Amino acid sequence: MSRELLSEYPQTGNRYDELFESPQTPREHWKPLIEHLAAWPAERMRERLNAVHSQVRENGVTYNVYADPQGADRPWELDLLPMVLAQDEWSRIEAAVVQRATLLNKILVDVYGEQRLLREGLLPPALVYGHAGFLRPCRRDRPADDVMLHFYAADLARSPDGQWWVIDDRTQAPSGAGYALENRIIISRAFPQLFRDLKVQHLARFFATLRDSLAQWAPKPEGSGSPFTVLLTPGPHNETYFEHTYLARYLGLPLVEGSDLTVRDGCVWLKTLSGLQRVHAILRRLDDDYCDPLELRSDSALGIPGLVEAVRRGNVLVANALGSNLLESSTLLGYLPAVAQSLLGESLKMPSVATWWCGEQAALNEVIANIGRLVIRGAFPQLRVEPMFGEDLDERGKKRVAAMLRARPNDYVAQELVHLSQAPVWDRAHPRLMPRSIGLRVFACATPNGYMVMPGGLTRVASAADARVISMQRGGSSKDTWALASEPVSTFTLLRRSVGAHELVRAGTNLSSRVVENLFWFGRYCERCDATARLLRVALGRFGDNVPDDDERARPVILSLLRQAGIVPATAGDLGDRDLSATLRAAINDDASPGLASGLRQLMRVAANLRERLSLDNWRTLNRLTQGITQRRGRKAAFSDLLGDLDLAIASFTTLSGYALDGMTRDPGWRFLSIGRRIERLQWVCATLKQTVAGPPEMDLTWLLRLADSIITYRARYMARPEWLPVLDLLIRDDANPRSVAFQVHGLRDYAQRLIDLFGDFGDERFHGALRDLLQIDAVAEFQPGSERLIARLDAWQGAAYRHGEQLGLRFFSHVGEASSQTFAT
Amino acid sequence: MRLSILHETHYRYSSPVVLSHQLLHLTPRALPWQQCGAHRITVEPAASELVERDDYYGNRTAHALVAVPHEALLVRAESEVIVKPRAQAVLAAPRMPWETVRARLGRLDAPPVPEAGEFLYESRNVERSRELADYAVRSFTARRGIVEAASDLARRIHKDFKFDRTATSVSTPLKQVLKDRRGVCQDFAHLMIGCLRSIGLAARYVSGYILTSPPPGRPRLIGADASHAWASIWCGEPAKGGAGWVDIDPTNNCIVDDFHATLAWGRDFSDVTPMRGVILGGGAQTLAVRVTVSPQLEAALESK
Repeated sequence: MSRELLSEYPQTGNRYDELFESPQTPREHWKPLIEHLAAWPAERMRERLNAVHSQVRENGVTYNVYADPQGADRPWELDLLPMVLAQDEWSRIEAAVVQRATLLNKILVDVYGEQRLLREGLLPPALVYGHAGFLRPCRRDRPADDVMLHFYAADLARSPDGQWWVIDDRTQAPSGAGYALENRIIISRAFPQLFRDLKVQHLARFFATLRDSLAQWAPKPEGSGSPFTVLLTPGPHNETYFEHTYLARYLGLPLVEGSDLTVRDGCVWLKTLSGLQRVHAILRRLDDDYCDPLELRSDSALGIPGLVEAVRRGNVLVANALGSNLLESSTLLGYLPAVAQSLLGESLKMPSVATWWCGEQAALNEVIANIGRLVIRGAFPQLRVEPMFGEDLDERGKKRVAAMLRARPNDYVAQELVHLSQAPVWDRAHPRLMPRSIGLRVFACATPNGYMVMPGGLTRVASAADARVISMQRGGSSKDTWALASEPVSTFTLLRRSVGAHELVRAGTNLSSRVVENLFWFGRYCERCDATARLLRVALGRFGDNVPDDDERARPVILSLLRQAGIVPATAGDLGDRDLSATLRAAINDDASPGLASGLRQLMRVAANLRERLSLDNWRTLNRLTQGITQRRGRKAAFSDLLGDLDLAIASFTTLSGYALDGMTRDPGWRFLSIGRRIERLQWVCATLKQTVAGPPEMDLTWLLRLADSIITYRARYMARPEWLPVLDLLIRDDANPRSVAFQVHGLRDYAQRLIDLFGDFGDERFHGALRDLLQIDAVAEFQPGSERLIARLDAWQGAAYRHGEQLGLRFFSHVGEASSQTFAT
Repeated sequence: MRLSILHETHYRYSSPVVLSHQLLHLTPRALPWQQCGAHRITVEPAASELVERDDYYGNRTAHALVAVPHEALLVRAESEVIVKPRAQAVLAAPRMPWETVRARLGRLDAPPVPEAGEFLYESRNVERSRELADYAVRSFTARRGIVEAASDLARRIHKDFKFDRTATSVSTPLKQVLKDRRGVCQDFAHLMIGCLRSIGLAARYVSGYILTSPPPGRPRLIGADASHAWASIWCGEPAKGGAGWVDIDPTNNCIVDDFHATLAWGRDFSDVTPMRGVILGGGAQTLAVRVTVSPQLEAALESK
């Protein structure tokens, strides 16, 4: 073993160390990993580390932090080293988590059903009636198969004596399983050989089981089809939105928001382009009380009015059942041993961290007497109390806390402080291992044969060596978790590597109106950014730092185009070269100024709403581009670097358009994306030509051909200096040129016809007038500078494009856009 | 007393509503002291679905779905009830010290008192606080009978707080009401409930109506032209010498008698909102609520 690797790894005795059994002696199940690492040359180590970090970044794995003033997605932190658990130890954890999930489910079914536990005094009424998570409207007879807790997570920690404890139960919409999966995919690629040799248990079957179990319990659809399951998310602002999109893609479920669903006839329906589609099961990541503004929280804008009634009538399965937040109360922990005896006839296989509810007089006295070694927490999640550590309190502090407990004893619990175990993490700055506190989140799902535990889990790592709490919000990181097996492991996989890689949109007819609207805008913004980048490239090439200007006469036209794009303020006169140069720089890389960077930000915002629809390739291209463009923000970049950035941007937009053209199924979603592009391009080319035609007659038009990406075609055809007639013919009438007016108009007419065939009539803009116009042009007379007739035609085409967009919106999107769902009480 | 009740809620919207879900608590409860006669709910435009059921608290609710675009919505509930007097019986019940009731509610080692355990804790519109407890204890002096103490609390609320339709809205927090000392019947009911829960007693919110025009010689009551609300206090199990649930109306400073018709009860307003809806579209809106409660001839009652 490399001494250097572990030279700084302190081997203290007051915590359990996952790696070392005693100083210098690693535990048996860690040895292969440590030896493997020690054998790596430093160079190789760096490569792997970089590979892990770039994968996290490129896959766009993020964890949003609400409190972040910039509202930015923070990259997910993943340590190179997995947490390793020996087989026998894992088996014990597994059995304990199965038992606990079974028990918690029974409690939930009882409290929302016959309430025997309350009648027999096994649970104090305060725990149920005083918990804001006890949702009265959700009380009912019997859920399918007596299952309410379909998906469960337990937070475990290990104390210095090696004992595992349950610190917290996550019963509402547990997060982290998707991150665990992502961690696994990345880390198993970093150690492919070791991963196989160690017989690490695979995760895929767990997710397949989760999905199949939901389908099993969902109401049966009429006819022979299988139940339609969706994943319900609060939306892109949620801290774990990345995970929602990731799981939706992995499980093959449509990702929906509340406004995508509607309740009619006591059933839940997905609003799609082609009408309403019945939903049979909802895997939700939305909190209980936000799910139905009609019967639960009336201020929820995220829910589905009538959902509770649909559940009540047995027309939809919601997992986890509404009301399962009830179990997320530390108060429950103290009563679990007795409840386990009563409901299961068993004692708990893994204890909960010792907990006293201050609502009991005896417990309160005990807590106040021992306050110095306890942690005080809120008894119910609605109280939002920050943990208080008794060991931090001086005598006055203790008195103050004691008074607080006496004033509202029901609101507090006290818990013993578990000194977390430590595991090695890779120190990025130096090639060596450092100890960090860790906690383990383990997941279980209900199946018709009882609970199944995900073999592995999410190891959460504290940001400091001796941390008492682990919080992903406060800068913690994570590890892959390897549960070792002695048997050969299943290599079942849900990843569709060969099929899905370049697919922008899943084929199928269940496109929600919201997704369609976002695809439309994705197309428009891609095109808008591309046009902006081209305009900036032309402008920078002419006005940039000391570039000899080949034709000063085009200057006013290009300036007016910059004004039209908002890049140069409309009120500014002719800027000097110096000011113009600064404006162009800002337009390229500063997203606070109108231009490319700000356009990219809007594109990213739309893309975020389409996260589950965009392939990773799209995502990587977008991420690289944004990082590349904004990195020079505020710095004095060389002129050639800026041009290089613009070249990169234009190449990236071509790549994105290539993904759409080459990798997307031709479903209505693709059609809307393409329509978005064409509308944007038609408006842009018309606007550009209007300014050009009105410009100086004698100017050189090479810049225009560059701007419209048509210079090669022109040169191949005419091998001459650009002239008005052939240039305008190429950009307007030539329907073989993908940048021409004719090309856009023909395309839009064809797409409109396809939409009418599929969904019936909408609006009356069919581009008949535009097509007639194109045929009637008198080229010799009109393809000349200053032609009023041509300017009027360009104006009309631009107007047709605008109208078409409006009509599409009214027919296909308007009910989702800023949809005003409001709740009122009288 | 036989009461005939008309409760109309009329919304007008500035732009069409395309979908409207409404949850209605507009059907009177059948109770030992209240007999329900004819009852009808009408929705205009016609609801495409109107489903009735009992809610968690046993109140009758209706879920209406209006799926045609509309710029106005009218919900009319017509009910007839016969209410028996009950104030006399409350006053005649044996006197139980309030501490006895509280001790029984707060015990953990015995099964909870049925029903009452539900109404001890905070709920969406009713918090518990030191301020509310301080206000309450002046009525809840040592060993005082619980009905007497609660009546005194109602008397003080009636005296200390001003009925003011403009001072509060559906969402005004109790803290604000306590500070400003003004509000409407709903606020006073919440206030009374908050006071009682803050000292460890159980209280629930009752939604209903009172007679619009009193019989000759009796004073006109406050809150008669809208839906009304009051508090119900748990006064100990009847089987063990308690008075059970006792309804007290702090707005009118009285123990509820045969002028009050009960619609529904819950922890607070949010559980039994007469009409709660979620609409899609609608823009700005105006609301008009009209309630008429008229007495039928006593002779008609006699003949029944």
